[in-house]
Amino acid sequence: MNYLLKLTSGEINRLIKYKILPVSLITSFLWIIIFLFISKEDARNIAPLLIFIDVSMMSILLIGATLHLEKQEGTIKSMMVLPLSVGQILVAKAFASILLGIESVIVTSLALYLIHGITFNYLLLLLFVFIAGGAHVAIGFFLALSSKDFSSMLGLLMAYMFPFAIPTILFTFGVIEKKYEWFIMISPSHSASNLITSVVINEYDWTKIIASNIYLLILASLLFVFTVYPKFKDNAIRG
Amino acid sequence: MSIAFSVENLYFKYPTSKTDIIKGISFDVQEGEIFGLLGPSGAGKSTTQKILIKLLEDYSGSIKYFGKDLKAIDKSFYEEIGVGFEMPVHFSKMTALENMKFFAGFYKNTANIQELMERVGLWEFKDVKVGEYSKGMKVRLNFVRAILNQPRVLFIDEVTNGLDPKNARTIKDMIAEYRANGGTVFLTTHLMNDVEQLCDRVAFCVNGNLQEISTPRDLKLKYGKREVKIEYRENGVTNNALFPLEKIGSNNDFQNIIKNKEIETIHSGETSLEDIFIIVTGVDIK
Repeated sequence: MNYLLKLTSGEINRLIKYKILPVSLITSFLWIIIFLFISKEDARNIAPLLIFIDVSMMSILLIGATLHLEKQEGTIKSMMVLPLSVGQILVAKAFASILLGIESVIVTSLALYLIHGITFNYLLLLLFVFIAGGAHVAIGFFLALSSKDFSSMLGLLMAYMFPFAIPTILFTFGVIEKKYEWFIMISPSHSASNLITSVVINEYDWTKIIASNIYLLILASLLFVFTVYPKFKDNAIRG
Repeated sequence: MSIAFSVENLYFKYPTSKTDIIKGISFDVQEGEIFGLLGPSGAGKSTTQKILIKLLEDYSGSIKYFGKDLKAIDKSFYEEIGVGFEMPVHFSKMTALENMKFFAGFYKNTANIQELMERVGLWEFKDVKVGEYSKGMKVRLNFVRAILNQPRVLFIDEVTNGLDPKNARTIKDMIAEYRANGGTVFLTTHLMNDVEQLCDRVAFCVNGNLQEISTPRDLKLKYGKREVKIEYRENGVTNNALFPLEKIGSNNDFQNIIKNKEIETIHSGETSLEDIFIIVTGVDIK
């Protein structure tokens, strides 16, 4: 546990040193500016989308950037010869990425309250962000470990976004009708969006919420155990 | 002295390769010796090292680490070994000291970071980001990283590659001191100068097989010519003469040149490790 804390604090320290956390904070503050110029109703409707983007797409992007940078620097190889397990290294990276999502949630929630007086169940949102973030970190690992470099990782991210993330954005803006929602819930990103939206707009469809949670937890577990873990180890050894 | 590593009939194949990369090699590494594994690129020496440091585990054959089955040893193994990679392995946006402190934080026993960095001439650059280091500085920092946990066995790969002669000498001195204090070293390299100066025994790895395991001296005797070549001046001209080593003390022609001519050079026919490398591996390292 002690090692896990040290690893996670090392990851967070590097997020600061590599200017990833400050950039993420600046992005979050951009959302605040948007909230200043829109109505309370619009803010409540658009906030889930902004949180969803930070928790899903930004997590994938962050994991990709981190892994490819570390591959370039050879640090993963150096970590592999420490008295640590691969599982501990992966969990620390996942925690650090999810933390960025949580940071975005805190800034966005604070802005919604201070500007428009909007409140919601913060603990439930944190739990859902943790689950949605975890699943997207697993997807991020999968895409990063399946790509040669960061450019090809971006290509894979685009390929992921078209079938899995764009429909969610279209759904948010009403382009895709509500009757098709169960169909697009096959996308992990839509399941994540569904969880975040339900808390922020205070409308709970528990069947969909439970289904989304189970789906994201199973997907994250399967990806970590059967793909991410062996691929990460293989990549680290090959250097 | 006990045996640090005992390797018997080791075979290894990568999942994507059709044939074995390591083809049934056997060797021992004695505690307190510097063992050099030499060979051309792709011969299997890096793979062998990766197996010994437990990065690759799907091998067949037996590997004992101080008498214990290597596969049965857990992550605590990394408390006892130090690994120096050829390529830089540090966080470039962090300072050298931040890097060392980060890695040191995971070991139970750590050496004095300041002492090590002073020894390799990096202490005054401790607060410089590693990304701003020169290649030689990164290589020296890699070495400090490798011995940070006061390892019982040290694995090093091309340890002086990219260093100027002075810094290369410092690193080699530190390795020799480490060995003198009971440490065991497993060195993979193609730099024959390092091998000549450091290794107690060497093995040549060729196409996944070990061709020779011996001391550098014995290899030189085995592959060298038992002869003496003399260059001497006579009537303003340099002449050569070659004599067999057998009964050289009673060879009259040899005695005559030694006593009566102006000798310019005398060389025994022992060969260099570089020549032996080429003979054994069939690959020119130049």
